[in-house]
Amino acid sequence: MTASSVYIHVPFCESKCPYCAFKSALKGEGDEELYIRTVAGEIALRSAETGRIETLYIGGGTPSSLSVDSWRALVDVIESSFSFSDSAEVTVEANPNSLTEGHVSLWREWRVNRVSIGVQSFSPGELSFLGRLHTAGQAADAAAICMEAGFAVSFDLMFGLPGTTIRDWAESLRRAVTLRPSHISVYQLTIEPGTPFYEKKFNLPDGYGQYRYAQWKLPKKGYCQYEVSGFALPGCECGHNMNYWADGEYVGIGPAAWSYVNGARRENAASLAGYARAIEEGGDALVFEERLTGERAARQAATLALRTKKGIDWDAFKSRYGEVFAEAIIRDLRRFPDTLVISDERRTALSSAGMRVGNTIWSDII
Amino acid sequence: MDNERVNPNRIRNFSIIAHVDHGKSTLADRLIERTHTVESRNMKAQILDMLDLERERGITIKLVPVRMSYTARDGETYILNLIDTPGHVDFGYEVSRSLAACEGAVLVVDAAQGVEAQTVANAYLAVEQDLDLIPVFNKIDLPSAQPERIAKEVSDVIGIDASDAVLASAKDGTGVDEILDRIVSGIRPPSGDPGAPLRALVFDSVYDNYRGVISYVRVVDGELWAKKSISFMATGEVFEVEEVGVFTPAMRPADRLGPGEVGYVSAGIKSLADAGVGDTITDSGRPAPAPLPGYRRVKPVVFSGFFPIEREEINSLREALEKLQINDSAITFEPESSMALGFGFRCGFLGLLHMEIAKERLYREFGVELVATAPSVIYRVKLTDGSVTEAHRPSDFPADATRLEEVLEPYIKITIFLPDGYVGPCIQLCQERRGTYVNMDYITTERVRLVYDLPLSEFIMDFHDRLKSVTRGYASLDYDHVGYRAADLVKVDILIQEEPVDAFSFICHRDAAYHRGHAVASKLKELIPRQLFEVPIQAAIGKKVIVRVNVKALRKDVLAKCYGGDITRKRKLLEKQKEGKKRMKQVGRVLIPQEAFMAFMEVSGDDGK
Repeated sequence: MTASSVYIHVPFCESKCPYCAFKSALKGEGDEELYIRTVAGEIALRSAETGRIETLYIGGGTPSSLSVDSWRALVDVIESSFSFSDSAEVTVEANPNSLTEGHVSLWREWRVNRVSIGVQSFSPGELSFLGRLHTAGQAADAAAICMEAGFAVSFDLMFGLPGTTIRDWAESLRRAVTLRPSHISVYQLTIEPGTPFYEKKFNLPDGYGQYRYAQWKLPKKGYCQYEVSGFALPGCECGHNMNYWADGEYVGIGPAAWSYVNGARRENAASLAGYARAIEEGGDALVFEERLTGERAARQAATLALRTKKGIDWDAFKSRYGEVFAEAIIRDLRRFPDTLVISDERRTALSSAGMRVGNTIWSDII
Repeated sequence: MDNERVNPNRIRNFSIIAHVDHGKSTLADRLIERTHTVESRNMKAQILDMLDLERERGITIKLVPVRMSYTARDGETYILNLIDTPGHVDFGYEVSRSLAACEGAVLVVDAAQGVEAQTVANAYLAVEQDLDLIPVFNKIDLPSAQPERIAKEVSDVIGIDASDAVLASAKDGTGVDEILDRIVSGIRPPSGDPGAPLRALVFDSVYDNYRGVISYVRVVDGELWAKKSISFMATGEVFEVEEVGVFTPAMRPADRLGPGEVGYVSAGIKSLADAGVGDTITDSGRPAPAPLPGYRRVKPVVFSGFFPIEREEINSLREALEKLQINDSAITFEPESSMALGFGFRCGFLGLLHMEIAKERLYREFGVELVATAPSVIYRVKLTDGSVTEAHRPSDFPADATRLEEVLEPYIKITIFLPDGYVGPCIQLCQERRGTYVNMDYITTERVRLVYDLPLSEFIMDFHDRLKSVTRGYASLDYDHVGYRAADLVKVDILIQEEPVDAFSFICHRDAAYHRGHAVASKLKELIPRQLFEVPIQAAIGKKVIVRVNVKALRKDVLAKCYGGDITRKRKLLEKQKEGKKRMKQVGRVLIPQEAFMAFMEVSGDDGK
């Protein structure tokens, strides 16, 4: 079996944001070349794992921090190894401050059709608190350039920042909606161990109200909530992410990238140096592998599916994981009131209210 | 081995009796040291308190006898058998059996604190057994020691002449020689007929994994030796003696035990129930016409449901209780099931301390973690059809309250010794706990003896702790069971989301129902985490709801964006959360944490605050 989704991790950023726990680093001398060379090596090594590509997602890190020349080399590597379906969704993540006309025109000439912009907020105070290098104006400009180029644009927005109120959040959402991206991801600031924010012991607001506001506001503007963090205009859902929630397989390339192939979830070495050494020695860069089976695999899949508005399709679920586990999960789900968990004969999904308390529900059925 | 018969005139059997903390164990250590019974390098502080638990709590539960050899002023060498006694009222019966094995007792009184409740109770137990008493005023080294005042107090309060009391300090060794000499001169030697049919009093039994039950005995008449066929007079069970011996305090085999001797018998007995404390061992071929007096089977008076925290642990709990019962025959248990807690056992104990010790031992010795329900007593329920049943738990009360004719509950007579400055709060406490005043007198100008009749159920609800707090630790107490009395008691149910949770039901006086129901409901409100919906908590008598509080619905959650790379990490987080929930019990749709069940034990006594 081959995967039709590919994720490529670009491990560089212009600066480290104090909340971010994703793997990235500031570029050193020669790092871009090393990165492109070893990614090419890994792609060559793993070409058998992919079939025709339906979704490609280049994330990070900050992919727009790669120079245009490096991008050109990366595109060559990808094109020489992968074959794409005609309708393939190709997403690139970009930060407003590092996105250039050069990137945009290269992407347009290639096959990028979707750009996810790390906007985070339209409030100057919040942006500086988050350590972002861009301004609200730059974010609007970047969005305009991308739309001009014909890309579907997605915004990442963050709520639940210390000291913020629902009014601050409403203002960022209002600005976002005015720019008409086709997709908006909202997520709550979480403080992860190992980040500078972790040491600060912030008093975070209860994010419930802000999230609920987004659930109220965005649909009125045409953005339908198709996943706990995802709102999209009709037909503009992120196919790459939907594959994750459908328990679909994917190949992850690059340092710190995760793959899910042949039933195994695998993690690559996190540091560029470690990753590059492993690849240059001719091996893979795996540092972790996990293969869930039986009930645990079924429960994992159910949890993922319950992130989406579509929810669990029981016929498909039963044929993949068996009747017994499906029934066990159905029994567990029955404990929740129908204001939170909506079921008919064919599917079970969380209601909007259920998504607000998703963690509690998932942690019951995992 | 001792091949010679021991001359009873050279034997002295004695106990040390004292109120808790008056220095009994330290004095015992000094006696053992002084008689070189144990090499000083092997001395551990308070060597007789063998269980770790006892050493930690500084109280004695199990009795470990010791045989000492002492050359007195008359130049003769005597065998002094010290039979230690437990120092807590829960074990009153065991104290009385230990004393029955002695001819005398050293009555230790703290020279600064004076007479306390258990000083009196133990002294009277000794007088009842007709023991020779040697008063000792301990801690004489303390600057606050007042031997003259204490002597007067002993004489006034207990009615014993203590003018010749030995002034001692177990701490620095003062008076130890004099105590040993007084044991020889002031306690009569045992009498007994070596030729008469065997009668040996079992004053304690322990269980040894290899040898089975080892009975601690005091031979009164006749002789005991290996291979002898013996029977226990209360049960009629016959065994062949495997070994007899004495305590040094380690067990040392001996050829025989004759009249007046204290030692042990092992006979391949598999259960402590077959060798009950207080029973008389006799010769199965030539039984004594009558057993020694005083045997009774101890009956538990305080009950609690023990439930394993992990439901699958039920069999481990059963095995652990079975083993514990072999060791401690006063514990009873029977299977019980609870909607909230699953399967468990209703266990009976001699008192609260006994219960706590059992719980602790289950955890330490058998690794079983459990939830214990609030301790309770046995009620007698008279129904309108004239029948009477014993109600062990709230669910034994009739669901239809109109069928209740009358409820009777066990009472105790409680004697409290305290400084007169605390009489007010102490009386208030007793009144709050539905006590009936019996008597109050001044035993000195500053110290008061207060006697109340009190429902046992009120006593086991942290009465002792409350007493300590209202008297700043200056009160001591003792109690006796005085039978059943009628009371206006009601069963209060706690409903969580309309469902009664049996583990939280309780019986209380009608007047306290609202107050206590409110305390329980409020505590649960604190302890039950917010769920995905509003959870009403109600207290009700029958159908009548008397208290209602709500746990508001959960409105707090973290929604992290989740990438393909986060799936495994996210799953682990969710699994960790699920693990946390597993430690909660599900009632209907509501998850109730273990702490709520634990806290219920505390809350039921909180109403005095």
